[in-house]
Amino acid sequence: MKEPDLKKNDFNPVQQFRLEEREARFRSPSFFLRILLLAFFVFTPFMFHSFEVLDVVLKIIIFSALVASYDVILGYTGIVSLGHVLYFGIGCYSVGIFMGNLGWVSYGHLALAFLIAIVVSGILSVLIGLFSLRIRAIFFAMVTLAFMEFAFILSSQLRSITGGDDGISFKLPGILAVDYSFGHFLGIELTGRIVSYFLILLICVILFLLMLRFVHSPVGRVLQSIRDNEPRSIALGYRTYLFQVIASSFASCVAAVAGGCFAIWVRYVSPDSSLSVPIMLDVLLMVIVGGMGTLYGGIFGAAFLMITRAFLPKLQVLMASILPGVPMASRLSERWLFYFGLLFIIIVYFFPKGIVGTVQEFFSRRRNN
Amino acid sequence: MTPNQRKWLPTLIVLAIFLSPLSLISPKTYITLTISGLAMGMLLFLVASGFSLIFGFLSVLNLAHGALFTWGAYIGFTSFTLINQWTGWGGSDSIFLNIGIFLLALILAGLLVGLLGIITERLVIRPVYGSHLFQIFITVGAMIVLEELVRIVWGPNDEVMPVPISFMGSWDIFDVVVSKYPLIAIVMGLILYVVILMILRKTRLGTIVRAGVENPEMVQVMGHNIYRYFTGVFAVGSALAAIGGGMWATFVKSIHPAMGGEVIIFALIVAIIGGLGSITGSVVGALLVGLSYNYVAYLVPKAALGITMLLLVIILSFRPTGLFHEGT
Repeated sequence: MKEPDLKKNDFNPVQQFRLEEREARFRSPSFFLRILLLAFFVFTPFMFHSFEVLDVVLKIIIFSALVASYDVILGYTGIVSLGHVLYFGIGCYSVGIFMGNLGWVSYGHLALAFLIAIVVSGILSVLIGLFSLRIRAIFFAMVTLAFMEFAFILSSQLRSITGGDDGISFKLPGILAVDYSFGHFLGIELTGRIVSYFLILLICVILFLLMLRFVHSPVGRVLQSIRDNEPRSIALGYRTYLFQVIASSFASCVAAVAGGCFAIWVRYVSPDSSLSVPIMLDVLLMVIVGGMGTLYGGIFGAAFLMITRAFLPKLQVLMASILPGVPMASRLSERWLFYFGLLFIIIVYFFPKGIVGTVQEFFSRRRNN
Repeated sequence: MTPNQRKWLPTLIVLAIFLSPLSLISPKTYITLTISGLAMGMLLFLVASGFSLIFGFLSVLNLAHGALFTWGAYIGFTSFTLINQWTGWGGSDSIFLNIGIFLLALILAGLLVGLLGIITERLVIRPVYGSHLFQIFITVGAMIVLEELVRIVWGPNDEVMPVPISFMGSWDIFDVVVSKYPLIAIVMGLILYVVILMILRKTRLGTIVRAGVENPEMVQVMGHNIYRYFTGVFAVGSALAAIGGGMWATFVKSIHPAMGGEVIIFALIVAIIGGLGSITGSVVGALLVGLSYNYVAYLVPKAALGITMLLLVIILSFRPTGLFHEGT
C-alpha cells in the first residue's frame, strides 16, 4: 500500500524496490507479452481445428505448470530433486483410481480425488524432506530418485489398485465426458474435450499465479537467499532446513494438481505415462532449456520440447528416405533422446540460464548501457 | 556404549538380519537364498563402490554410473561372443578355458569402460567441478547420451548373455542346491574388495586418495596434481562399474539398454547406507541390501523393493551419514 503522506525515502530498500516494481507493472513490455501468451492459449481451440495441435498446446500448458513447480524447488530454493514426477504421478493415479478403478464418476469425487492427491503429496514430501534434507542437500537428490523408482515399481506391481503396466482408462463426469456437446460457438463444436481444455487452462493459470505469489512472498525471498548464500541465511537466523521443506512440499502439491489435470486430459494413467524416469528427464530438460529461477522459463522449455517431439516422426521419415537400408542411420534418427542429451550438456555449458534467463540478461545489460 | 563396542554395532546389525529369516524359512532354502543374496550383494558392491569412491573423492554425484555399468555389460557381451567365435573357449569342457574367457571379457570391459570414464571425466565433468547443481545436470546429460549410444550401437532390444559351460548348473552339497555362478561371483567380489582395500590402505597412491577424500585442497597444497588423481579414480570407478555390469549380465543371463538405470537405484541406496566414500561401507551396505532383498523376495515377493527403501529410511534416521565414515 502506498501511503500518500510518506516520502520515498521513508521506505526501506526492499519496500522501495517493490514499490518501483509495482508502479512499472502495467507499463513493462513483459506484462503485455504475458497477456498475449494467455490470449493465445485461450483462442487456440478456435484457431486450430485439428486435435493434434490442441493436444500439443494443452500438454505445453500442463507441463509448464509442472516445470514451474519444479523450478520453485530447483531455481528458487537451489535444491535438486530427482523425484518430482512422483507427485505428478500421485495426481494422475488419484484421479485415475477414483474415476476408473472405483468407478465413482461425479464432480464431487473428481474434486475429492484432487484433494486427496494434494494431501498425500504434501505429507509424503514433508516426510521425505524431513529425513533427507536434514543431512545434506545432495542426499535429497538421491533419496527422491530412489522413492520415485520405488513408486514406479509399486504402480506396475499392484495390479488390483493401479491396473499394473496396462494402466487404467476411465470416463469423466458430465460436461467433461467425450460425448458431451454444448452446441456450436465461433465455428467449433464445444465438446467435452474443449470444456476440459478450458478447465485445465483455468487450473493451470491459477497454479501459475499461486506460484508467482509464493516466490515473491517473504517466504519466497528467504528461499532465494538460501539459494544464493545458505550460511548467511543461517546466520541471519532462518532455519533454512524448514524453509526448504516448505518449498518442496508446496511444489509437490502443485505438481499433484498438474498431474490430476494431465489425467483429465488423456483419460488414462499408466506407470510409463505418469511417473517414469523419462518424464523426469523431460522435466529437467524443460527447466534447463527454459531457464532456472524464472518460472516463465517452464512455458518456453515445455513448448520447445513438445513441439520438437511432435515434428520428430517427420524427421525420421526424411532420414529414412535419404539413407535407406542403413540400420545405424535409422537408429540414429530414432534416438531423439540422444540429441536431447547432447543439447542438455551444451545448454548447461554455454547457456546455463536458459532461454528466458539469457534474454532477461541481454535486456537488463542493454538497459544499463 | 564404549567406542570399541560401538565399532561392532554395524556388524551385529548385519548378523541379526542375516539370521532372523531362519525362523520363517527352512534351513535348506535359507542357504540357497543366502548364497544368491550374497552374490547379489557382491555384484551391487562392485557398482556401489565405484559410485561411492567417486562421490567421496571428487564429490561428484555421478548419475552416469548406471550407463557405464550398461556399457560394461555390453562390451563384456560383445568381447565374450567375439573371443568365443575365434577360440571356442566358452563352449569347451575345460574349466580353466571357461574362466579364462570370462576374465578376459571382464578385463576388456573394465579397460574400455575405464577409457570411456576418462573421456567422460575430461570432457564432461571437469568443466563443472565445484558446482553441485551443474554436476548433477551434466551427469544426467552424460547418462542420457551414453545410454542412447548403447541403443544406437547395439540396438534397443534385449540380448541373451552367453555363459561359459562350466558356470552353469549347480552342485549338490548335503542335499542343498548350490548354484555355481553365485559362488564364483562371491569369490570375485571378495577378491576385488581385498585388492581395493589393500591399494587404499597399503600403497602411497591409496594414502593420497584417502587424504583427498578428507581434504582435497590440502592434498593439492602438498604438491600433488589432484586433477590427475580425480581422473584416475573416475576411471577406476568406471572400470568397477563395468566389471559389475559384465558379472551382473552373466548372473541374470540377459542384457538390455535400460539395465543400468535399474541397478543404479540399488547402488545409490547401498552407497548411502554404507556411507558415501567408504569401501567397507559399500560392502556392508551391499550385503545388507542383497540379503534382505532375497529373503523378502522369497517370503513376500511384492515387498522386495519396499524392504530396501525401509532399510534406507531406518538407517538414515539413526545414522544420517551412513554406517561407516568416509575414507575407510
